[in-house]
Amino acid sequence: MKRRQRGGMLALLTAPLILFVVILFLWPVARFLALAVDNSDFSNNLPRTIAALAGWKADSGLPGEPVFAALVEDLADARRAGKEGVLAQLVNQRVVGSRFLVIKTAKDAADGKLTMRPVRDEVLSKQGGWKNIDLWQVIARQQSARTDYYLLASLDLKRGADNSIEAVSADRAIFVDALLRTIWISIVVTVICAVLAVPLAQAIVSAPPAWSKLMFALILFPLWTSLLVRTVIWIIVLQKNGPVNSTLLGLGIVSEPLDLIYTRFSLYLAMVQVLLPMMVLSVVAVMRRVPTTYMRAALSLGAPWLTAWRRVQLPLILPGILSGGAIVFVFALGYYITPTLVGGPTDQMISSYIAFYTNSTLNWGMGAALSLQLLMILVLFALLFWTASVLFRRKAHVA
Amino acid sequence: MSADRFRKWLMYAYAATLLAFIILPLLIVIPMSLTSSNSLAFPTPGWSLRWYAELWVDQRWPNALWNSVVIGLSTTVLALLLGIPAAIGLAWGDFAGKRILYAIIAAPLVTPVVIVGVAAFSFFATLGLVGNKLSIILVHTAMAVPVMLTTVVASLSTFDRTLVRAAASLGAGTIRTFFKVVLPLIAPGVITGAIIAFIISFDEVVVASFLSTGAERTLPRMIFSGVRESISPAIAAVAVMLIAFSATLLGVIAILQGRSQTLRARASA
Repeated sequence: MKRRQRGGMLALLTAPLILFVVILFLWPVARFLALAVDNSDFSNNLPRTIAALAGWKADSGLPGEPVFAALVEDLADARRAGKEGVLAQLVNQRVVGSRFLVIKTAKDAADGKLTMRPVRDEVLSKQGGWKNIDLWQVIARQQSARTDYYLLASLDLKRGADNSIEAVSADRAIFVDALLRTIWISIVVTVICAVLAVPLAQAIVSAPPAWSKLMFALILFPLWTSLLVRTVIWIIVLQKNGPVNSTLLGLGIVSEPLDLIYTRFSLYLAMVQVLLPMMVLSVVAVMRRVPTTYMRAALSLGAPWLTAWRRVQLPLILPGILSGGAIVFVFALGYYITPTLVGGPTDQMISSYIAFYTNSTLNWGMGAALSLQLLMILVLFALLFWTASVLFRRKAHVA
Repeated sequence: MSADRFRKWLMYAYAATLLAFIILPLLIVIPMSLTSSNSLAFPTPGWSLRWYAELWVDQRWPNALWNSVVIGLSTTVLALLLGIPAAIGLAWGDFAGKRILYAIIAAPLVTPVVIVGVAAFSFFATLGLVGNKLSIILVHTAMAVPVMLTTVVASLSTFDRTLVRAAASLGAGTIRTFFKVVLPLIAPGVITGAIIAFIISFDEVVVASFLSTGAERTLPRMIFSGVRESISPAIAAVAVMLIAFSATLLGVIAILQGRSQTLRARASA
């Protein structure tokens, strides 16, 4: 009983930190992600119009007088509440070019300039943009305070005229490409790191203690310098009159400076340099636990060195490669600073899009949907790595 | 046997090349930052310390440094206040759901930092705290605690808990036992954790970019916006100073670890 009580007391010591993380981290993140399906700015600002549009069908032509009357009331209210900008942006996201139409109509409505009856004719004569059936179709669909618009958009999909899901036009389809590119870049970086790290780890483990310590310190050092500084340094090193280009020119290997920076090549280079230490650490940790006698036994039984290494050493250090790979991959997926600074326009990863939509266009729904997508991929791949290591361990046990 | 020696030689040559790839870029900016010219070039056309002097003339850089130090130190203190009790609970406590607690604490570490930044921005905007150091300190603390916790938990789990009972039997209260017995012995782990927490905050740029405006800009934020415009030798000078700073802190940690090893050896002797 006493013991249990102490356990409870000790558990209580974690409470302040847990509360801190839940309130200041988990809650804000959850609140932000919820914006991916939030439609309240739409449904709350056009309540009467949406209600009046119930039962209206696109093939019956433009809606009638009651709908226009409701629209004028709603827009006037939105304008008075200072919400017409938000509303105009939401409409504009779905029907491009309608931003100004909404803002102008809202202003006219609030200023009492749309009082002639029938108001339908008045609105249509002053703001001909409302003759667009697509606009009404979009508004009619916003009854719910929840929407799948952003989630679909993050997969280059949309609701068509008959509310079925269809692909967006090719010139607007950018997100699936960005998603695949993000995964591909992360895979390439992870594989390069694994291939480079294993021999280095082998060297660190088999070197004499003093050398081993030095190499380990050199590997660790970049982890202590900021990611930003290391990224900036690559820009300095790879620029037109930087050390790499002047060396290549000096040696006569090239006749004019190469475009090294702002390319996929520089992105891989910078990301590998930044993430390699983590892979090396992970592999070294496992390798140190593998007795050297196994390799010696294989060699003394006559196996060629490479065969012995591949059949004996590699399977034993594979868990280290897998866990290092998981760390590198998960970090790479969320990279933002490095692709933004050293990548070209066609090398941007999902994180850059998230920052763009929330920073520059204030499209929170899109930013949240892309964030949700990124987190799902992260969880998916983490599970994949985890399953792989479990399966591998089971196989190792059987063997 | 000569094939063996060749293989060894090859392995070390490979290791040296790869380590050069990792380390050399960090070193090559040192001569480049000492340039007398207006732009960065290699080889350095002429030598001068002017860009280091420039940093103190342009009021924005010292101001940003000050912001970063204030935010970094506040983050460290807050992380220690929250982290040490939690570390004791996690290292010594024997209760259900520990894994879930670890997962909650680690969440800020594995969440892509852009999501952290954007979510923090939307949250603190509703509280009117964007552009306030406090918001950055709070988010940095959440990001720093999970890393700091690992070193503190590690030093606590090798801590001989009979010492606590001995102190209690000699009449020391919980608080007194903590400050007189526990804290001195886990100090190396705590100081290492504190340095790590400081570095995490001091180097963090994404959250700081989302949450800081104008006068509240941190040093990484200044570098980030500076790089996007053009890379002046001043940026290289800042980079060199930050690398030197990291090297110093790493040296301190290496000394601390050596000390904790001797402490442990003495305790077990």
